[in-house]
Amino acid sequence: MKKIVLGLIMLLTFILLPGFNLQANTHGIVYKDSDYQRLHAVIEHVENVLKYGKAYNTETDLIPDAINTLTGEPAKWTFPNRAEVPYVNMANQQNFLRTLVALSNVTGSDKYKNEAVSILTEFIDNYQNVNGLFHWGGHRAINLDNLEVQSFEGPNGPHELKNMMPYYELMMEVNEEATIRFMKQLWTAHFYWATTDMNRHGSYSTAFDINVFGQEIPNHVIEFDEDGMPIIPADSPGLLPFVNSATDLAYAAFTLSNHTGDPIPSDWANYLMSQYNRASHPVTGMTVYQYKSTAVTRSPLECADPAYTNSGCGDRVARQFRDFGSIARESNVAWKNTQAVYVDNILMLLEAADKYGQSHFTDWARQYLEGYLEYAYIRVDGRNKIIPMFIDGTVTYGYVTPEVGYFGPSNMRLDYVDMPTTYLLPILRTILLTEEDEDKEKLWSYFRDIVYTFGIGDIGSLGGATPNLNIDNAIDDPFALMAMVELYDATKNPQYLEAARTIGNNIVREKFHRGFFVQSEIMLYSRLDMPDTLALLTLDAVIRGIPLSDMPYYLADTGYIHGYLLSDDGVVETRSYTQNMVYTKTIFDWE
Amino acid sequence: MKKLIYIFILLLSVTLLVGCQEKTDDNNETIIVDNTYRLLMEAEDLSGMTEKTQAIITQAGSLGLPTSYQGVTITYRSRNEEIISNSGVVTLPTTCWIESRDQQGDEVFENLNDNWPVVIDVTLSLNGQTRTAKLLFVVAPAIGFTCNKYLG
Repeated sequence: MKKIVLGLIMLLTFILLPGFNLQANTHGIVYKDSDYQRLHAVIEHVENVLKYGKAYNTETDLIPDAINTLTGEPAKWTFPNRAEVPYVNMANQQNFLRTLVALSNVTGSDKYKNEAVSILTEFIDNYQNVNGLFHWGGHRAINLDNLEVQSFEGPNGPHELKNMMPYYELMMEVNEEATIRFMKQLWTAHFYWATTDMNRHGSYSTAFDINVFGQEIPNHVIEFDEDGMPIIPADSPGLLPFVNSATDLAYAAFTLSNHTGDPIPSDWANYLMSQYNRASHPVTGMTVYQYKSTAVTRSPLECADPAYTNSGCGDRVARQFRDFGSIARESNVAWKNTQAVYVDNILMLLEAADKYGQSHFTDWARQYLEGYLEYAYIRVDGRNKIIPMFIDGTVTYGYVTPEVGYFGPSNMRLDYVDMPTTYLLPILRTILLTEEDEDKEKLWSYFRDIVYTFGIGDIGSLGGATPNLNIDNAIDDPFALMAMVELYDATKNPQYLEAARTIGNNIVREKFHRGFFVQSEIMLYSRLDMPDTLALLTLDAVIRGIPLSDMPYYLADTGYIHGYLLSDDGVVETRSYTQNMVYTKTIFDWE
Repeated sequence: MKKLIYIFILLLSVTLLVGCQEKTDDNNETIIVDNTYRLLMEAEDLSGMTEKTQAIITQAGSLGLPTSYQGVTITYRSRNEEIISNSGVVTLPTTCWIESRDQQGDEVFENLNDNWPVVIDVTLSLNGQTRTAKLLFVVAPAIGFTCNKYLG
């Protein structure tokens, strides 16, 4: 009897003592039915995209940017002359390419990666301009009807990449020579070596320069006044050096150096990104959208009309927000283009820090984010918001514009700016790449508040201790999912994994309809660049114990086409974006 | 002896179960719930500190900002102490916030941007934990204010 009782005691102790539950161990994660259902949904989506995407024109392996989920047909751009063009813009399919590779990684089948290779092979072989630029980006794509290059901005649309951060690793595998040629020409076409100007638009007529990075790196553009404040030159001849174009140039150069071992492209990328860093506000730490203003090249008569917003009339914020004095410059605005500055830009900096040895970029990212959150982040009515302000902390909330200008009409009142879930990843990744705990605490505190306010619950104290998450949340957001996956991967706290599983299940339930992932049930088009499938596969990977470093990494999903098209009234010509004109269509708009 | 063993089993079970009782996840893992953070968030949302952020403040005097909420200590630091002090007392400014003019700097847009936005940084503390928050109030200038400060 005593032996039985003692055995019982030992058994009871073994069961109840914490630490003995093997399911908490990464390698002991049970693959559940719901895990399989999520994977199955991604596979079904991918199979449908490939099936219907390829069915439209059997002469090509290329697939359209988006698919009509009612008919299986490609999304089409309607030009002002009523020509409807199905389009393939490879710059806008990078997350689908990453999804294909990720799917091969988690399933162990080469089938999906081979599809990605096949698509990229045809694209690179046929759609690289003689000067090295690809026919892709903001103003060019491939017409899926005739497989010809299609311009969306007049007959000869320029090359434009804004935070598209192509999947260079795969492109290198497919065609190393062509990819390297592109990465070099990206700089030749967009960067003006003699004047250190940069243009978001690159010409397809610019000759390929074999000695592209051969010039000596010049002095910094940004110098400082006697008070230590950065001086923003107003000498750019209409070539606005937007950070969202600079991130693509820098990303290409870092990838190139990493691949070839030649440090010079990396040095140039450092030089370029340094201008934004030097232009940052020395007190607040907030950074800039551009490091130059434009020179006045238009006549006083033309510029006398505030509705004439051509950048040849000088800095467009100085014109419309002149009431604020000298701080009112395009570079200093912290309420517009914030996704470009504080999300996409940061993700590129962190990628370069993590993979390409640019460890100082982690410090820059932390400086930018800490400054922005300390000065501008606010919770309003239980929502994450940004107080509109200039980067020196001058609040512009409530300001009413006296006259029309580049930033909007007259009598426009500046209100709080929404902070979307896209901010989660740059903040979290900055924390994870920061070495010292004491340097992480400030960002973690903001991150904790932001996550809580999004409704995910309390992530706990720094390092993932004692979280109290809303495991049964209703959130169906891919960025929240990736944040929970990356938190789990870093801490191995199973609460994050369970929250991620819930979010993943919600994504499938709310966004998987008619065999495709869509933004919501009523949306007509399934957009290939949606990050949801990639996010679901990163969750699948950590459940299987596959290191995230072996998985394609999310960097951006901001691909678009911008150009002239017929407005919804069927009469008026307008100039707009796919995101505003095509991907807003619902199933009720389809006749 | 048997009784002692049974008592020991009972005690062991109770002890271990109490240690796990706060919350368990799907894997029956014990989660210790710390309510400190929840209270720090609640203090921002429910203490009443945000009440007067919804309307333009036209009266001088105290905003009545709470300094505690269910054990949470709340302190304030104003980014413009001349208008709102660190203790939440409003002094109506004697000038407009911004004077707005047309692009040529000639035509004045009267009363377009008179009201001042003022940000207050809030610190909330409980059980050694601290978090920060912000409040943004809009304050109208005093009657008879001047507005001759064009910067353009």
